[in-house]
Amino acid sequence: MADTKTKPQWLKVTYDQTKVDRMNHLLDGLQLNTVCAEANCPNLGDCFGSGTASFMIMGPNCTRACRFCDVPHGKTAPVDLLEPLRVAQATQKLGLKHVVVTSVDRDDLPDLGATQFVNVIKEIRRLNPNTSIEVLTPDFQGRTELLDQVIAAKPDVFNHNMETVRSLTPKVRSRATYDTSLSVLQYVKAHAPKTTFVKTGIMLGLGETDSEVYQLMDDLRAIDVDFLTIGQYVQPSKKHYQLREWVPMARYQAYYRAAMAKGFKFVASSPLVRSSYKAKEELEAVDGK
Amino acid sequence: MLKEVHMPKLSPKSDEYFFGSWLKEPGDTVKTGDILFEVETDKVISEVQSQEDGVLKEQKVAEGDATKVGDLVATIEVN
Repeated sequence: MADTKTKPQWLKVTYDQTKVDRMNHLLDGLQLNTVCAEANCPNLGDCFGSGTASFMIMGPNCTRACRFCDVPHGKTAPVDLLEPLRVAQATQKLGLKHVVVTSVDRDDLPDLGATQFVNVIKEIRRLNPNTSIEVLTPDFQGRTELLDQVIAAKPDVFNHNMETVRSLTPKVRSRATYDTSLSVLQYVKAHAPKTTFVKTGIMLGLGETDSEVYQLMDDLRAIDVDFLTIGQYVQPSKKHYQLREWVPMARYQAYYRAAMAKGFKFVASSPLVRSSYKAKEELEAVDGK
Repeated sequence: MLKEVHMPKLSPKSDEYFFGSWLKEPGDTVKTGDILFEVETDKVISEVQSQEDGVLKEQKVAEGDATKVGDLVATIEVN
């Protein structure tokens, strides 16, 4: 196995304490969780430094314990009915032109958290009518009546991550299956308004093969998924799923070319790409927003 | 005036990092925004920028040291 202990030079980010402190201070006052902090994202310094963040609602604890993920698994809190307003106010305060809202899994709730997504979308839109909205959702256990609720709120981008190829899904994810996630994307693409782009993302370095990645791309194109993000898995701790490989840049480039040739509208493929990283630029590229 | 540079909190989930390498040596002129040093956290190598204009006076930690948030890392002579 390749050396996975030494971090490659491309895993380098610049950190400006003044700017990050300013953002942290602002977020503290709003009582909101960000996936940036909860997942210990390597791009935090970059995004916070440029005044952007991705909100993580209904957290900070998740009902699932996926082996790749740094978001804490544990006892969940009651849904906060003022959270939608606070997310909308934070969007306003930060002056975000594009906002990404994700959540922990809430398998403990009767609606699995769908209503809170809807309320957040509505509140953001009420206070920020010109801001585009991207949701990055759980699989809602594949329940179409819940997907219908979220679709009806008309997010600009509906993102649900496949995370990895078929063979590794049971090893890496908890309770989620490859086919359920695919069915979520398929349902949303078929039933959402044409103005909603459908997006997904995967991590590399878990032990996937080229042919498995290309098969995944074909599975996604067969259901007309619009956007694909591909980034390097970074093992959060020794307890998490073991990193198999720092994938060389050439392979990201090869995947980018292949994915574009297969017909995705937008592909981001680079080690530090994360689901919501530069999401605004992505939407602008295809939509002129 | 001498200003102290302390280890910033680079990772939301950890307060202990490996000190990577220095990009400025004692006597070097530093400007706000210049990369002073690199630190390895759980997930990434962070390039830490100077928040001051001045001359790097003293390095207080060495490459490979284990450091904690708030540790004194360097001093900068600021005019």
